[in-house]
Amino acid sequence: MKKAVLIWVLTVFFTQTYSQVREANITSAIGSSQGSVSVLVQHDWELWKSKKFAIGAGARFTSYFGANQYYITAPAELTSGSTGPFVIFKENIEENIDTFLIKSPQVNSLNLLINLRYKFNERFMVGFNIDAIGFSFGGSKNGNYINGSQGVMESGKPTAFNILLISDNDRGSLNSELYGKYYWNEKWGIKLGAQFLFTEYTTDSEVQQLPEPNGRFRNKSLLIAAGVIYKLK
Amino acid sequence: MKKLSVVIISLVLLSCEAEDNNTPTEPIDDIFDPTMATKLKMGEFVGVSRHSVSGMAATYEDTNGIKVVLLDPLNSQNGPDLKVYLSKDANAGSYINLGDLKSTAGKQSYAIPGNPNLDEYPYVLIWCQQFSVGFGRVELQ
Repeated sequence: MKKAVLIWVLTVFFTQTYSQVREANITSAIGSSQGSVSVLVQHDWELWKSKKFAIGAGARFTSYFGANQYYITAPAELTSGSTGPFVIFKENIEENIDTFLIKSPQVNSLNLLINLRYKFNERFMVGFNIDAIGFSFGGSKNGNYINGSQGVMESGKPTAFNILLISDNDRGSLNSELYGKYYWNEKWGIKLGAQFLFTEYTTDSEVQQLPEPNGRFRNKSLLIAAGVIYKLK
Repeated sequence: MKKLSVVIISLVLLSCEAEDNNTPTEPIDDIFDPTMATKLKMGEFVGVSRHSVSGMAATYEDTNGIKVVLLDPLNSQNGPDLKVYLSKDANAGSYINLGDLKSTAGKQSYAIPGNPNLDEYPYVLIWCQQFSVGFGRVELQ
């Protein structure tokens, strides 16, 4: 009996309460001496009877490129003095933050993402998506490590493993977007929004020595994004 | 790929010249009396990366033990974010940043922080930090 009830509940849950939307989009984003191109495939589950809210998951490939970009000390234990969930509320410890200036950064990342969306009608919707976990790759780049009046040239590569945690606890290169979408027909639409992109390099040696050895440096880019959407289902 | 590299490098070099110049061009005459200090080493500027820099640089130690780089005379092509580096090699592989270039012309002195062993830093560089491009260098001897 319990089994039957469970099957009935699950059947209602998936057939009556939810509907599914699958889409792909390509987005380009641009900012000051930097930009990105990303390709995203996602699957959204529209919730409840109204189907206005949707939660989704997907995969995104992002290629970031820039010129003369400043990367700063990344680990939360250095920037905030701790690694707990409340680092988001902590002021940066400026004396712990050094700079790695990269002449031509280029980072590629492939991440799984989470999407939240609200639908005003069948044509117009807004949402937010954020990368959660994945990996990055890219060539070795030379940079200028700057620590006060001291400096040294060093090379580094994109940090290989990406994971979304909280604020500076994040690791690697992660993309996120706040967007509005407009579908001009059943299949095709456009997306406009803001892209907040973290990219991270790990230097070949731990160039930062104080207050503790570190080789991870992060750049946070706020970009204007525009893209084309194709509804797969 | 080679063509692309040339285009990118040219754009970077041009960008270093085309940006709003934030180094003053008014000639200056810093108050530093070389006769009151001991000259340690000196050399003559040469331009690098197709940039034009001429003049002399020398290191001094004054009576208080403070070490100084003196650029006198100096005539440098302008550019953004120009710094004076005291470097272990000609390409700023490891350096001490002495500060913003005060002017593209005139006599100017820069205190060297941290009392380093100057034998380890035989180069003075005029360096565009933002674009990682050298403008001029002196090998001190």
